[in-house]
Amino acid sequence: MSQQTAGDFARRARDWLEANAPRRRADAPGGVDEEGGTPASITEQKAFQAKLYDAGLAGITWPAEYGGQGLTNAEQIVFSRLARDYDLPVGAFVIGIGMPGPTILECGSEQQKQRYLRPMLRGEEIWCQLFSEPGAGSDVASLQTSAVRDGDGWVLNGQKVWTTGAHYSDFGAVLARSDPAQPKHKGISMFIVDMHAPGVTVRPLRIATGSAPFNEVFFDNVALPAGSLIGTDNKGWDAAVVMLRSERIAIGTMTASRSSPLSHESLAALAAKLGRGGDPAARRGLAELYARERAVALFGQLLREQAMSGRDPGARGSVAKLAAAELSRFAANVAADVLGDAIAGTDDDEVRAVATAIVAVPGAAIAGGTNEIQRNIIGERVLGLAKDPGVDRDTPFSQLRVGTQKPGSGQSPGGPR
Amino acid sequence: MTLILTAEEESLRDSVRRFVADRSPLTKVRDLIAAGEPYDAEVWKQLAAQLGLAGLIIPAEYGGAGAGWSALSTALTELGAGLVPSPLLAVSLAAGVLLQLDDDGARDRLLPGIAAGDLIVTLAAVADGGQVITSGDGDDLRLSGELSPVLNGAQADAFLIPARRAGGTVLCLADREAAGLTVTPLTTADHTRALARLRLDGAPARPLAGDGPAALAAAGDLVNLALAAEQCGGMAACLAMTAEYAKIRVAFGQPIGAFQAVKHKLADMATARELAYAALRAAADCAGERPGKFPAAASVARVTVSAAYFEAAADTIQLHGGIGYTWEHDAHLYYKNALSGKVLFGDPGAQLDRLAATLRL
Repeated sequence: MSQQTAGDFARRARDWLEANAPRRRADAPGGVDEEGGTPASITEQKAFQAKLYDAGLAGITWPAEYGGQGLTNAEQIVFSRLARDYDLPVGAFVIGIGMPGPTILECGSEQQKQRYLRPMLRGEEIWCQLFSEPGAGSDVASLQTSAVRDGDGWVLNGQKVWTTGAHYSDFGAVLARSDPAQPKHKGISMFIVDMHAPGVTVRPLRIATGSAPFNEVFFDNVALPAGSLIGTDNKGWDAAVVMLRSERIAIGTMTASRSSPLSHESLAALAAKLGRGGDPAARRGLAELYARERAVALFGQLLREQAMSGRDPGARGSVAKLAAAELSRFAANVAADVLGDAIAGTDDDEVRAVATAIVAVPGAAIAGGTNEIQRNIIGERVLGLAKDPGVDRDTPFSQLRVGTQKPGSGQSPGGPR
Repeated sequence: MTLILTAEEESLRDSVRRFVADRSPLTKVRDLIAAGEPYDAEVWKQLAAQLGLAGLIIPAEYGGAGAGWSALSTALTELGAGLVPSPLLAVSLAAGVLLQLDDDGARDRLLPGIAAGDLIVTLAAVADGGQVITSGDGDDLRLSGELSPVLNGAQADAFLIPARRAGGTVLCLADREAAGLTVTPLTTADHTRALARLRLDGAPARPLAGDGPAALAAAGDLVNLALAAEQCGGMAACLAMTAEYAKIRVAFGQPIGAFQAVKHKLADMATARELAYAALRAAADCAGERPGKFPAAASVARVTVSAAYFEAAADTIQLHGGIGYTWEHDAHLYYKNALSGKVLFGDPGAQLDRLAATLRL
């Protein structure tokens, strides 16, 4: 990109954001939308995303022929940096544009690209991602949801869990077992499923904080029409690996909002307000939190700069994801040290937001791949250490034990989960 | 802010890396240790003159390269990875302080010699500021007190010494030969880092023109950047050595790296190194481009790297098992280097207090 166009793009993006989006307030109460958006806010988000798209600021790096802007990573980075200072009501589209979208771009058919990508970018259709199951979390390749051929299409049965936004999604990218006679990684396919189709049931999943930002999704003889398969039959695992890698980079390099209740900035301000910042140990804790927060943010920036200069981040997104989860755990400890027994019980809204955020911390070490899985990935794909021999790698899936087994049950697939 | 290296920095990194491999492999470092030598004079001469490292941060008018602290940090990282003993850290800090002050006479007299690698000047600043007091004034200024530990004190030709006098701290220049100045080499935990005790009994010294306290504060930031740079290299060496061993050492029928107890520790080490390197690069960038942000960035780098390197070095011994705890294995050299660098010029607690003050917490 030439300096000229870079400057033009930045100016255009800044002008648009200033005119159309509210500035992020540093003193805003720790505000992720934990319910994942109410119907009203989805309408609002759709309207905003359409304006964003019409202004040429959505799908910046996607090819123009599928509704993108056809620009480079450089413009994307410019936009992401500018957007950090604004509250963009686009949470409902993050999953679709971040994961199924790029996967369809890379592996999808021409017909799928033409049909789905533009409405996804413009916020007309919302997408979710359906991978995890009650019996298949870290070992997601042991999933049991089945897709059985039926004429030109398929029939889908099973249960998914931890699905963000399923209740307001129009489509999902679902992984299903298409050939149980193959070893577990080799009999999986990825499909597009219409979330409004008969046989799809979505239930909210209440988490430890008491809120329900995720869902359980049940598929009961859901008909998948011809053209639903993304990529090749029984090659769904390869597409899933691509998608999960994007997810880790997305999660790990997300710049923690300065207004998050567990950020250095919020905690330092709150400690000062409550007169608890003077304690030498608390002061050191806050300083170390600042250092760790900076290091994680800087690593994210380094990954982006390297990507721009042509170095593939590869599996190092797992480093970012692990580091971000460890940071939030450290922040929880600092918060408890700094705020003391107010965390146990309070009538201060800000302290309550911190307490809620502390309860949310363990989730960061599980969602999007546990810390342990990230460490496996870093060990094997970044450092090149030997893989776990994987006693199940070459066994036909139909002969494997999966999920949670009660002592002595010895059941094959479909055993208790 | 730009975190990736420039083409010049990459080329400098590669030259220093090749030099370390060819001229100062760990076998040679061990010979120096066995002989009780603080560093190899020939290697230092080549580092200083041939690679131009001694004058890297010194402006061209004084015979240096004027390349700046980001370039120097790139070189220090490679020297740190090879545990190459040298007075580079000492002379760079001294030069950095001289450039902060406004004493043209001292610059003219010292900087060309430093840049050429002929003169060793060290900054005798310790974490708590030291207890050196002044007597007399002007041409007859004298210093009394003790400073320890002083980087390359026993090899230095001249010392930059912070001293207290009415009205605050003044930085003074004292020659090695000054009457009443004695230097005693210390027994060091880290065999590759020469330290000494400096004793002053009414030693004559010259007060340096300029803002002493500001120069000392700046020196604290430069120390943080330089030590973080060296330690980041040491940490990378620990990671590389341990990952390699985990691939070739077999136990219970498989390479030990296949076991999660080993794999996960290595993954944590790799993660800590990535964060440390990113923090180091940010500090290096701020040193030249963003002076207002440099103090906090340098503290972040130091805090991040020092603690992580010590952990990495300890884990390097642990993951090697018995062989890692022997004298013949290099792991203990890194462990001792990590220990020393962690506490010099302010231990982690002092560093956090310093960062808290910078952040006005």
